[in-house]
Amino acid sequence: MLRCEQHDMSDIRHTKIKGQWLTMRTMLLVLCGAMMIGNMYLIFMWVPTAGLSSGFHAQRIFYIHVPLAWVGFLAFLFVLAGSIGYLWKKDYRWDALGHSAAEIGVLFTTLVLISGVIWMKPVWGRWWLWEPRLTTTLILWLIYVAYLMIRAYSSNPLQAARYSAILGIVGFVDVPIVYFAVQMWRGIHPGPVIGPNAAPSSLEESMSTTLLFSVVTFTVLFAFLMRERWSLIWREYVVKNSVRNTAFSKHRLDENFSLGDS
Amino acid sequence: MPSDNLPFMFAAYAIVWIAFCIYAFFISRRQQELEQEIMLLQRRLDDANTDASSKSA
Repeated sequence: MLRCEQHDMSDIRHTKIKGQWLTMRTMLLVLCGAMMIGNMYLIFMWVPTAGLSSGFHAQRIFYIHVPLAWVGFLAFLFVLAGSIGYLWKKDYRWDALGHSAAEIGVLFTTLVLISGVIWMKPVWGRWWLWEPRLTTTLILWLIYVAYLMIRAYSSNPLQAARYSAILGIVGFVDVPIVYFAVQMWRGIHPGPVIGPNAAPSSLEESMSTTLLFSVVTFTVLFAFLMRERWSLIWREYVVKNSVRNTAFSKHRLDENFSLGDS
Repeated sequence: MPSDNLPFMFAAYAIVWIAFCIYAFFISRRQQELEQEIMLLQRRLDDANTDASSKSA
């Protein structure tokens, strides 16, 4: 029997928001808000405007574009972990982790693509180019949209969880391909500025400081959204399971009493 | 000055923040609905327990 079937009415008490969690949630929200305000100050007030080749003010899109991409990758790493965990342990908690991370990953990757094309228009003069980095990112986005579609349209939740877990593992192969696309196929997209493949001193100090702060801020935002969404999906599952089990128990109860009466 | 690309920067930031606000609203609304469902379920459970105890008595 799958472990996910064991979560029933007894779990409903865990669905209530506890005081301790509320404090942690509030702290994370306040921290995220404060960091976001600081981040906006650094981006709009502190860091100097870039030159013509980078697109003047359009270059400031870079300070959200790169962190969005980083968080997208991080989210898909969580999908991978959740997918492996679900296939291995058969516990719905892992599936809920993968599902919530995929949803957030798709949101962030959508914003990466949108912010990217908005920067591209004034700098490259076009709204879209079939350039390696852009194309592989679009493929990545499509893979995880497919992941969410499997979950949304499948009539069998266990089958949906299994199929989407397989897609979550296979789809992650595209993440390193996106990261190394510029080097592998020599596209015109600027090379990585963070991570193992980043060019040394490719940015001014104030720009790299702002970027680093922005990456940390968006990671905190991701942690907050992830905690919220994961807990919500998990509680939805427990409630659904409880409703089903309650209906079943009530049916059995009525059956027993009717047999006893006869 | 049109060449400073200010509208592009504004558009990108506006879209990102609007998207985050919509997503936060979606999560918050779903949480409220779930709390209501939990309350309803607890009420049903209480009713079922009361029925069971009255029948057994």
